[in-house]
Amino acid sequence: MTCPFLDYRDSAGDRTFDTARAYCTAAERFVQPMRADVCNDRYDLDHASDCEIFLAHEDELDEAEIGSEVPTEGPDA
Amino acid sequence: MTYDDFLAGDPLIITAALTGGVHGKEANPNLPETPAEIGRAAAAAEAAGAAVVHLHARRPNGERSFATERFQEIDDAVRRHADDVVIQHSTGGTGAPAEKRHLPLRTDPAPEMASLDMGPLNRYDHLTSENTRWMVDALHEEMRERGIKPELEVFNDGHLNEVHGLLERRELADPVYATLIFGGGTLTPPRPRNLRNAVDNLPEGALFNTLGFGRHQLPFATMGILFGGHVRVGLEDNVYYRQGELAESNAQLVERVVRVAEELGREVASPSQARDILGL
Repeated sequence: MTCPFLDYRDSAGDRTFDTARAYCTAAERFVQPMRADVCNDRYDLDHASDCEIFLAHEDELDEAEIGSEVPTEGPDA
Repeated sequence: MTYDDFLAGDPLIITAALTGGVHGKEANPNLPETPAEIGRAAAAAEAAGAAVVHLHARRPNGERSFATERFQEIDDAVRRHADDVVIQHSTGGTGAPAEKRHLPLRTDPAPEMASLDMGPLNRYDHLTSENTRWMVDALHEEMRERGIKPELEVFNDGHLNEVHGLLERRELADPVYATLIFGGGTLTPPRPRNLRNAVDNLPEGALFNTLGFGRHQLPFATMGILFGGHVRVGLEDNVYYRQGELAESNAQLVERVVRVAEELGREVASPSQARDILGL
């Protein structure tokens, strides 16, 4: 399950990219690639326990969003 | 290694850390991420004076990849674009399972060098790159089997104990080569006396590479040159050229440290000289 705050965008503000990148709608910025592994719950990582941004914004989610899966994971290598 | 090594004029090995795996183009759009970009960056860094390129692999969207196939694509691109540069793969991987950490060692041919993190390192507020002794020994064993020279990454002074412990547990080919890393968080605080102390606590005969993160990159590279060590620069560790000004390229950072070395009278090692110095 991916973080409900995760989106993949190829532009935001004055930033544009050739390939859509991980964007945190809570922090309102593109996230570092390593943090994107947390957003995507890859390996043993879990956004609900491993991401301080999610924990700081968790109360902004309504019940329908908590536990919903966002089908926006980036491509595999 | 000491100031006497500087006076003796031993050639300086410059490693260019081209891409990394923590930040990407969101931090500096000039940071290479694709195999083709990394290949061209390696060639430019080599032309500027780098003898070694330190490589991570990424997915097409910049996110981390540990896949052997992705490292293979990058190595192929580096060999296509660059002349003779030494290829060094990262085996680092915060949050990645142990088996993934071995995958960068399995390209054909194997990389001449690979990083070996000597202990735990905190990331963000909730993550730790554990790097247990079991994991270090397992990675070293595969490096030994494949003829890969380990670059021992020392993130803080406790990891100096781990270097000595590794030498007690396992046989490492001479010379032992350790990168001394300075910055915030879990890293050794970036103070000149701490570099001197770390050098003094290395095993007898060990060579060292000097790495300062962010604004500390150039000062610590300069000290590393003067103390007879080697240096690592690049966009993995520092995305700025100076305060408020993003670096244009990895080569720009290499060119600057080459100028410093030349002003100080230290010859810059070619890839061939680097292989002789490191026993590759």
